[in-house]
Amino acid sequence: MSKDSKMRATINQKLTEMGERERLKELLRAKLTECGWRDQLKANCKDVIKEKGLEHVTVEDLVVEITPKGRVLVPDSVKKELLQRIRAFLAQHAT
Amino acid sequence: MKMEDMSLLGLDNTKLEALAQDIYSDLVEDSCLGLCFEVHRAVKQGYFFLDDTDQESMKDFEIVDQPGVDIFGQVYNQWKNKECVCPNCNRSIAASRFAPHLEKCLGMGRNSSRIANRRIASSNNMNNKSESDQEDNDDVNDNDWSYGSEKKAKKRKSDKNPNSPRRSKSLKHKNGELSNSVNADPYKYNYNTGINYETLGPDELRSLLTTQCGVISEHTKKMCTRSQRCPQHTDEQRRAVRVFLLGPSASSLPDADTMVESDCYDASDGQVLMSRLQWDGSSDISPSDSASSKASTNNSDSKKPKKKKKTSLGLNSTGGGGGSGSGGGSSSQSSLVGLANRKKKPKLPVPPAPSIYDNLN
Repeated sequence: MSKDSKMRATINQKLTEMGERERLKELLRAKLTECGWRDQLKANCKDVIKEKGLEHVTVEDLVVEITPKGRVLVPDSVKKELLQRIRAFLAQHAT
Repeated sequence: MKMEDMSLLGLDNTKLEALAQDIYSDLVEDSCLGLCFEVHRAVKQGYFFLDDTDQESMKDFEIVDQPGVDIFGQVYNQWKNKECVCPNCNRSIAASRFAPHLEKCLGMGRNSSRIANRRIASSNNMNNKSESDQEDNDDVNDNDWSYGSEKKAKKRKSDKNPNSPRRSKSLKHKNGELSNSVNADPYKYNYNTGINYETLGPDELRSLLTTQCGVISEHTKKMCTRSQRCPQHTDEQRRAVRVFLLGPSASSLPDADTMVESDCYDASDGQVLMSRLQWDGSSDISPSDSASSKASTNNSDSKKPKKKKKTSLGLNSTGGGGGSGSGGGSSSQSSLVGLANRKKKPKLPVPPAPSIYDNLN
């Protein structure tokens, strides 16, 4: 198990060091904006704000409300593509 | 070792998959957080709700989806069928034609002066010989501004399109100057120039024949509108046409004037004429022509869309310049006289013509 965690740590480190993580992040952002995921979530945010009141809304409120929805709302195509890229990276660098 | 490797690999596969999933969910969470921070900042800074419009305005700009109307709710051909009344002539004009009509109607704009000038020029040409008929003149002139004559003018314009700028130019040079442009391409323009003699009245015919060649082309059944000295037709042909159109005794044009004129010009212009007439395809025909005939306009712009009768005149448009051009001064005299005779009195004897030919040979 520690091997796994070691391995994981190594891989994560590699991911960050090589800049692949950033690239993946940018790719994901672009794709989510393109497919309208962002606007959808923003509309949800509006509801939360109206609910909580404009003055007193906190980051925590938003995060708690939005993140689970966000995870669910990601389109399948985007998910698949991203996973593909990650796997490719792992296959290349894990061993 | 191998087994360890293999197990490592196997481990790695499932683990890798799990790892990939973990990495993926980390990334998504990062994006969500980023969004939350952004929204929170916008809220706190007060610009979060700026791009919203209130419900009422939203209704105004709603997308329209009705037939016959575009998405803004505008009708496409709303102004197509509308008619406006012209303030100048009080006619009802279609909206899309209103601007050009107004241009012509008020006499402003680029083309209206051109058309008006052309109309004036052609009506001048028509009315030139009928000075004795003042009343008729007035009536004809009054027609200038009716729309029938406008159509006529337009038709005239389209009839003589290849020639038209040149034709109007030569009108300005009528008093003895050369109009080279008219005769520059005699054979090129031969079949485009012409008048239909069917719709002309006897007076008009006479006036035309005194100023123009008038020979009827067999191809187009139109009268030649070149000058009396036109190189394509012989004097014989001209005489024949006059006999045909006016009848042997129909001519009532004053002879004395022209006779006197031709005598005068024989003396003074004989030499000039001689040199000029010698040149077959000459473009110098107009001065002598204008000199001898009182109505001096060149045939340039007298294109009228008249219908043609069938004529059985066998006319050749050969180099008739041979007929009109003569070798000697004396023969030029006689040719002039003969020509004048032929113009004014078709029934005068033929002999001058053969004499011309004899001299040539």
